[in-house]
Amino acid sequence: MSVSRRRFLGGGAASAVTAVGVTSLTAGCTDESNAASAGPQYVPFDGPHQTGVTTRAPASGLLASFDVIVDDRDALVEALQELSVEARRIMTGQPYDERGVEYPPLYTGTLGNPPTPHDISVIIGFGASLFDDRFGLSESKPVELIEMPFLANDRLDPARSHGDIVIEISGDSDDAVLFTLRQLMRATRRSMALKWMLSGFNRRSDPKPGQADTRNLMGFKDGTANLDGSQPNIAERYVWVQPDDGEPAWAVGGSYMAVRVIRMLVEFWDRAPLVEQEAIFGRERTSGAPLGLGKETDDPDYASDADGARIPLNSHIRLANPRTVDFDSLLLRRGFSYSRGFDDAGQLDQGLAFVSFQRRLQSFLDVTARLKGEPLEEYVVPEGGGFFFVPPGSVSETDWVGSSLFA
Amino acid sequence: MTRYITKRAAGALLLTASLASAACGSNDDGAAVRDLTETSAASGAGASAAGGSSAGGSAASGSGLSTEGVTGTGGDNPLVAEAVNQYTAWVQTQIAQIPIEAKVFTDAVRAGDVDAAKAAYAPSRQSWERIEPIAGLIEQIDVAVDARVDDFASETDPTWTGWHKLEWLVFDQEKLDADASKLADQLDADLAKLVAGAPALSIPPVLVARGSAELIEEVANGKITGEEDRYSGTDLWDFAANLEGSKQAFDYLKPALSEVDAELATTVTDQFNELETELGAYRDGSGWKPYSTLTDADRKVMSGQLAALSESLATIPGVLGLS
Repeated sequence: MSVSRRRFLGGGAASAVTAVGVTSLTAGCTDESNAASAGPQYVPFDGPHQTGVTTRAPASGLLASFDVIVDDRDALVEALQELSVEARRIMTGQPYDERGVEYPPLYTGTLGNPPTPHDISVIIGFGASLFDDRFGLSESKPVELIEMPFLANDRLDPARSHGDIVIEISGDSDDAVLFTLRQLMRATRRSMALKWMLSGFNRRSDPKPGQADTRNLMGFKDGTANLDGSQPNIAERYVWVQPDDGEPAWAVGGSYMAVRVIRMLVEFWDRAPLVEQEAIFGRERTSGAPLGLGKETDDPDYASDADGARIPLNSHIRLANPRTVDFDSLLLRRGFSYSRGFDDAGQLDQGLAFVSFQRRLQSFLDVTARLKGEPLEEYVVPEGGGFFFVPPGSVSETDWVGSSLFA
Repeated sequence: MTRYITKRAAGALLLTASLASAACGSNDDGAAVRDLTETSAASGAGASAAGGSSAGGSAASGSGLSTEGVTGTGGDNPLVAEAVNQYTAWVQTQIAQIPIEAKVFTDAVRAGDVDAAKAAYAPSRQSWERIEPIAGLIEQIDVAVDARVDDFASETDPTWTGWHKLEWLVFDQEKLDADASKLADQLDADLAKLVAGAPALSIPPVLVARGSAELIEEVANGKITGEEDRYSGTDLWDFAANLEGSKQAFDYLKPALSEVDAELATTVTDQFNELETELGAYRDGSGWKPYSTLTDADRKVMSGQLAALSESLATIPGVLGLS
């Protein structure tokens, strides 16, 4: 396990976080990055944390939110156990049993048997509604977990928001991700009904420290200042709930997950002058460099630009992360772009499935509050998503994700 | 209208029929040929020659149910053989009922009595819906009597006939003229063909199991969505009849199944029961409430129950070694 684990963790070396003062990022990264680009890997399933959270943002990603449609606790537990068994099998490449030809096969055949490695990871999260009175879990709700309210300029569609259980599947290709979805759903049909679903992608170049490995559909680099979740010290500080956080004991080692389905009004955006686009983000479009500076990896150096003459005070990057000493609301982002065809007006329905993980949901809310009213809002509309809590990992082959909640 | 397994099953029958008697003529379409290739390959019937020779044929012959030469494995199990006999006999009684029930409806249409036609529509389909996949073995009949408008360019397409065309006229247009009478006559005539073909009906063991599963797929794909009876909103009537027919087939197979896999037999029984209980909330006298009263929450729960039942039913041919 150690070799493959190191490899997959190494793949996340995508960003520098100057505000955290992490200076050791570049050390030892090169080899691991090369290893990650050597090809698709199996991803360990078991561990203290759900392993998918700290892998690279997916080349192919899919969010599926479910309503639990059984009303007893045992049936819910059984469904969660099935999810872990199936996710473990696909992530780590365990074979399916072959049955006689009179039977429907136990696997769809897309990836062969055992399933070949495709960087598949499955992240399982619980919505606030799971902690209502149906399953006797109300006393165990993570303290900050709420149903996502309307934030900023939201126009949340109830049919595309919230849910009892969310699953984020990541992989190197759409068919591998869809294979995983079908296998997971097949195991849980009686208990979980789809509420909403969204799939998408990241086109990745080879990541280098401090550089984003993807651009969003507005054409700008996304993730330059993202946390590097593969660094354990960063993950412990910003991603994983710690024992002294005031959360229920079962939640320690878990993480809050914020999902925002952000529609981009791309036709409108494409008509905006470049100078406006760059001012809105605070970065040069081509290089990704902070405005007025040369390289993507350059610190924006807000100290020398107190009045925002170079990088506007209301630019996206400056609001999202002011890089002041006391600002500590950093998020681990691993979302993906999506395309859903076009709307009734003939406008392309595209955007960003923003997904962030954080030790405290308040960190996400802080950032969102800072961004409220930013000029970018004119070009984007959050239309769905939800808040979830990602429980800690399955610690062994006989364990399952969520077990601590029911212990 | 039946879609999935019926075509495959029909293909298997048509293949063996065409091998046995060339006089049968061309009564397959492209889809049936494709599906028959798969089915026959699985059962070792040597499909490639037949598939190749008949590919591209699309003429409908309207010939009766031809099951000559049909064989199926699993019939040597006496419990399975008994199930087949029981199910076949039960299907015969249902088929005999179909034109009688339908005539109440078609008479009302011919009389131009919209209200009476509305009242008779859903009951007229009950026996048909209980055995739909078996009745659908003659594909021409299924298309003629139970096709939805989705298979046609528009409601006014003159080649669209059968129950749903009349449903549109009765519930949506509320207009019953000479054309409607003609459609009613046509429906009676097509159903008479079904009855005429019934004595020759021989159901291979695997089709008892597949027929049971097919009915649940029907519910999951058409009835639970409100697509089947979109003008009348009587989908829950069809839902109930499909469920009844599926359960009947399963009940006949249950002794054989219990012998091999008692746990599966119990699971399926429980799954039928919970579905019946859930649907029971929508009882309305001797019939069923309109589809519009089905709540989203109940629809979701029943979809899950149907899906779980489908997964179970899909394994029965494997467990019993039927192919």
